Amino acid sequence: MEASLPVSLGQRGFGADLRALWAVMRREWVIFTRYPSWVIALFIWPVIFPMLYILTARALAGPDGSGMAVFMEITGASDFIGYIVIGTTVWMWQNIVLWDVGFSLRNEQMRGTLESNWLSPTWRFSYLLGHTGPQVVSMFMFFSITALEFGLMFGVRLNGSVWMILLTALAAIPSIYGLGFAFASLVITVKEANAFVFLIRGMVMIFCGITFPISLLPGWMQSIAKWLPQTYLIHGMREAAFSNAGIRELAPDLIPLLLFGTFWLVVGYFTFLWMERRARRTGAIGQY
Amino acid sequence: MADFAIDARQLVKKFPARPGTGDKKAEDSPAPKRRLFARKEPKTMFTAVNGVDLQIERGEIFGLLGPNGAGKSTTIRMLCTLLEPTSGTAQVNGFDIVKQANDVRRSLGTVLAGERSIYWKLTGRENLEYFAALYHIPADVAKKRVDELIERMELKDRSNELVEKYSTGMRQRIAIAKALLARPPILLLDEPTLGLDPQAARRVRELIAELKQEGHTILLTTHYMEEADQLSDRIGIIDTGKVIALDTPEGLKRRIDQQEVIRLELTGWHDELAEKLKSIAGIENLTTRQQGEADLWEVNMHAQNSRTALPRIVESISGNGTRLVNMNIVKPSLEDVFIHLTGKALRD
Repeated sequence: MEASLPVSLGQRGFGADLRALWAVMRREWVIFTRYPSWVIALFIWPVIFPMLYILTARALAGPDGSGMAVFMEITGASDFIGYIVIGTTVWMWQNIVLWDVGFSLRNEQMRGTLESNWLSPTWRFSYLLGHTGPQVVSMFMFFSITALEFGLMFGVRLNGSVWMILLTALAAIPSIYGLGFAFASLVITVKEANAFVFLIRGMVMIFCGITFPISLLPGWMQSIAKWLPQTYLIHGMREAAFSNAGIRELAPDLIPLLLFGTFWLVVGYFTFLWMERRARRTGAIGQY
Repeated sequence: MADFAIDARQLVKKFPARPGTGDKKAEDSPAPKRRLFARKEPKTMFTAVNGVDLQIERGEIFGLLGPNGAGKSTTIRMLCTLLEPTSGTAQVNGFDIVKQANDVRRSLGTVLAGERSIYWKLTGRENLEYFAALYHIPADVAKKRVDELIERMELKDRSNELVEKYSTGMRQRIAIAKALLARPPILLLDEPTLGLDPQAARRVRELIAELKQEGHTILLTTHYMEEADQLSDRIGIIDTGKVIALDTPEGLKRRIDQQEVIRLELTGWHDELAEKLKSIAGIENLTTRQQGEADLWEVNMHAQNSRTALPRIVESISGNGTRLVNMNIVKPSLEDVFIHLTGKALRD
């Protein structure tokens, strides 16, 4: 052969994998910003969904608003709008993660880019992790916009510590996204999983008390609620946002969140490994 | 043992079959009685690749030809580690495709699914920078390499535009540039000119020839016989999951040089005429192709002796609204070899 054989320019090592992970995050963010409708939705959605419950609550409180006092007494909340907004925002967080992270691999598969990514020597879980980074950033923007909009429009004031709110949200990330990872792997296997999204978000809506205290639920439903991390997230966020709760007071919510988080991250990772292995055997990632 | 760029031995890939598509043997077996609580019966399997052997030398262009569903893409997908073989082994650049999958991926540049393999919401440059990171190319090296490839692909003026604004040919060039980023020793090109206009396809073929000169080993699958003939050092013909012939293009053509190819152009083609022509002694492998939208058909058939067959052919054509427009006796092409071996045209 006349020409010398080409030598690969690729390097090995953890640093190379980290750079690849960063590239996935950067790509995801750039694509996100190139769909202006997504950015506009960031401003509209925080208001629209909670408004349904806020207006319903006002109607149910009666013409003189007397029912509101009963609601405040049952919930222990000082601000019914803030109480509803926290619950609905957590519900929207889980819902968006299921649609976004949960369908991330499927969307890549349908675009045709999943295979081209998987042809590279990058650790394959990076594609899910990398998708999650910008998603977390956009969700924190979502929370900030929610606080800003409800503060300006309805006078909702966060009396608690912003750091405690942040800490509670951070403690919930492993559970919320671990479930998203497991879901993403299932979606690429079964191809169509809308029914699962409806089931999970329906469970969060009914069992986790997004607009009411779970003490109102029958005993068996309360038992189920205790096995859902969103229950602790909603309770912890309300405590952090509207009282002076510190880490000690929040611990009954933070500890279960971290335990559930560990569980769901492990489930998410192993579901991904199972799916990846299955895809190599069945050719599932090349099928649309 | 010889140091092959790609060395596949008895590769087999079976998939769970969709209803009515499984292997014949499994389908013919009587259905077992279903019993309550009985273990689920194993699924019927479909064999996509059935014992493929390929030894590809370093620095050669190897063309893999086969009709749709013959097993080309499944073979390529196994070699690039997207699929695990059911049985058999393969080494790419000396690495086992199952046990050393990551090393295999480092050794390969692959064009699969062409223009769909890149991000349309990124620019051409952003795509290449992204994939450079995935192939673990250091940032400073990547920048130079991306510039170099953009220049080489003649995309310098458009590199900062979104890929969605590119033509199919430009997208394909970005897909090829992506495969070349890490300067891998082996390239797997699955239908690299599919859907391209003639000029763009010619440019890609020139590029493939240049890459060979640079020392890359290339495994090429294509639907275009002329392309395989022009580019390949050796060609493997695959059908129903098996390599049924493997030789140089000239060697393959020599296999049927005792035969002649009669090519007719006619209008008013009908199935009855096909039966008549097939019944003529010494005529085999009849294939037809409609020329564009008009009622003009190209009919090719292989004959042991065209002198004896021609009068009968002309006799069969006359009448029934069929009009002979042109008739030639031509030298067998690679396509004729393919038809001779598989009994069908490549586009079937």
